[in-house]
Amino acid sequence: MKRYFGEYGGQFVPETLMRALSELEEAFLNFKKNMDAKKELEYYQKNYAGRQTPLYYAKNLSSRIGCRVYLKREDLLHTGAHKLNNTLGQILLAKFMGKKRIIAETGAGQHGVATATAAALLGMECVVYMGKKDMERQSPNVERMKLLGAEVVSVEKGSMTLKSAINETLRDWVKNVQTTHYLLGSAVGPHPFPVIVKYFQEVIGKEARKQILKAESRLPDSVVACVGGGSNAIGIFSGFVKDSVDMIGVEAGGESLELGKHSATLTMGRPGILHGALSYLLQDEYGQVADVHSISAGLDYPGVGPEHSYLKDIGRVRYDACFDNEALEAFRLLSRLEGIIPALESSHAVGYVIKHSELFKDKLVLINLSGRGDKDLGIIASLEEKNV
Amino acid sequence: MCKKGIYLVCDYPTKDSFFEAVRVCDDFNMDFLEIGFPFSDPVADGSIIESAAFDVLKKENVNNFIESTKEVKKLFRNKLYIMTYANIVFGCGMEKFAAAVGFVDGLIIADLPYIESRRLKNVLNKYGINLIHFVTPESSCADIDKIKKSSNDFIYFVSTRGITGGAFSLDDETRKKVIYTKQNSKNDVIVGFGIQNKDDIKEACRYADGVVIGTQAVKNLKSGDFYSFVRDLV
Repeated sequence: MKRYFGEYGGQFVPETLMRALSELEEAFLNFKKNMDAKKELEYYQKNYAGRQTPLYYAKNLSSRIGCRVYLKREDLLHTGAHKLNNTLGQILLAKFMGKKRIIAETGAGQHGVATATAAALLGMECVVYMGKKDMERQSPNVERMKLLGAEVVSVEKGSMTLKSAINETLRDWVKNVQTTHYLLGSAVGPHPFPVIVKYFQEVIGKEARKQILKAESRLPDSVVACVGGGSNAIGIFSGFVKDSVDMIGVEAGGESLELGKHSATLTMGRPGILHGALSYLLQDEYGQVADVHSISAGLDYPGVGPEHSYLKDIGRVRYDACFDNEALEAFRLLSRLEGIIPALESSHAVGYVIKHSELFKDKLVLINLSGRGDKDLGIIASLEEKNV
Repeated sequence: MCKKGIYLVCDYPTKDSFFEAVRVCDDFNMDFLEIGFPFSDPVADGSIIESAAFDVLKKENVNNFIESTKEVKKLFRNKLYIMTYANIVFGCGMEKFAAAVGFVDGLIIADLPYIESRRLKNVLNKYGINLIHFVTPESSCADIDKIKKSSNDFIYFVSTRGITGGAFSLDDETRKKVIYTKQNSKNDVIVGFGIQNKDDIKEACRYADGVVIGTQAVKNLKSGDFYSFVRDLV
């Protein structure tokens, strides 16, 4: 298998992990060829997770902003976000490899919940690392993970967000590499993780392409998705990358585009090495990884998946930012207009389309609604106290 | 023969006590020094080295580390290495970094496995800097053969699965790997990760050519017991 997307990707990890990565790659290749494993995954996707997810024409939003907007409803997947596509796939892969212990990082807690869910389903031991700051701002998800039988470890070092959680999960993996599978939640990390995560998220793009063709008898003009690490975006983009469809990845612009106040890695960063891969990175001039910010814990990350860096450089996908306040506005507007409370992460994609509605005038737009927003009510309540 | 190396976090806990520690290492004729250049996300390090790195990063950057390492070169007569993470070298620009540190013997990059090393190695060669490769208990014999062949300085044997600052032990399988790495190797095999005291050194040197002591050195430097710590290692 190729370890790079153009010049991006690779395996920048301590030597101790190299054997585990090559075993994982080999197992993944065998897993893909194994018909029983494939059937088992399809069974759980359909009967347990609730695939396929609907494609919904958002009539009220469309008439408000003057274009035709379809939402791919990953928020309706079991556990409330697209993350379960990947965790169901990887947990079956872990079982296939004979691993009994699962570790994972989580930012917003959606990947942690999806991992704990899949681990409960297959009866595996599960430990989730989560930054202390994220545990505070996404506390309902912490409770859910515990209820599902996972041990949640609070990471109280560094930024105390997703980045620190990944550091700590990597440390656990180096120690327990013989018995443990690291169930990485985004299309980031060392090869083969970006390939594996994409493989399990491609189902979004495959379904959405068929559904929009059925509904409109044509492909959309634009496909829009939010990008933190980039797993939901790579999943939906994969369905349209070979078509002449405009694709836009929306990053977290945070409070402003000054370094430290946003998480818009592809928009503002430059290539660097973090968490095993060479990819765009928010860093200072001396190669130290920058502090980042986003109102949404799931986008609050200084790196991005290496394939997105490649898609940016070859000009296939355009990446831009949506600010905290614009995402919040979209969060409220979609709730009011459509009765759909989106995750703050997904609200960035919706917010971008609302803000640039003149660009999409009379166009057919597909937005990946990657998750639902129940988990964010605490953040919203505390902002309302401050009248934001 | 049992070579002894000390790992120090650059400019930690203060510039003065860091240089003083370098002098102590020279007085006791340590065989080599590894100067750690702090990185914001040190995934191979335990909490002691990590928090030392965070302390230093509050006030300094890589240019300061390079300047301090030039001073170290004047104070310490034996071999000198820089240990850091890939993005410090990559983020500065590999050429620029190599040109600035051409006076050291070698570079140790905690998150640069053998498979990703070729590009950096080509750059370092031009400046006469060696790239140190790691062997671990997880390495296969085929991997070890490749690493032995392409090394032109010591081979860093990571004694345990885990991060820096753990306990030291060499299980049967690991011992066999150390012995295999040493067999017909033109280079020294140095054991690191978890070495704490004279007993650990003695045990490691039954199989390897030497050891490097990191976390314990950093801890003792912070608590002010560095002199007696190094004295007791000899």
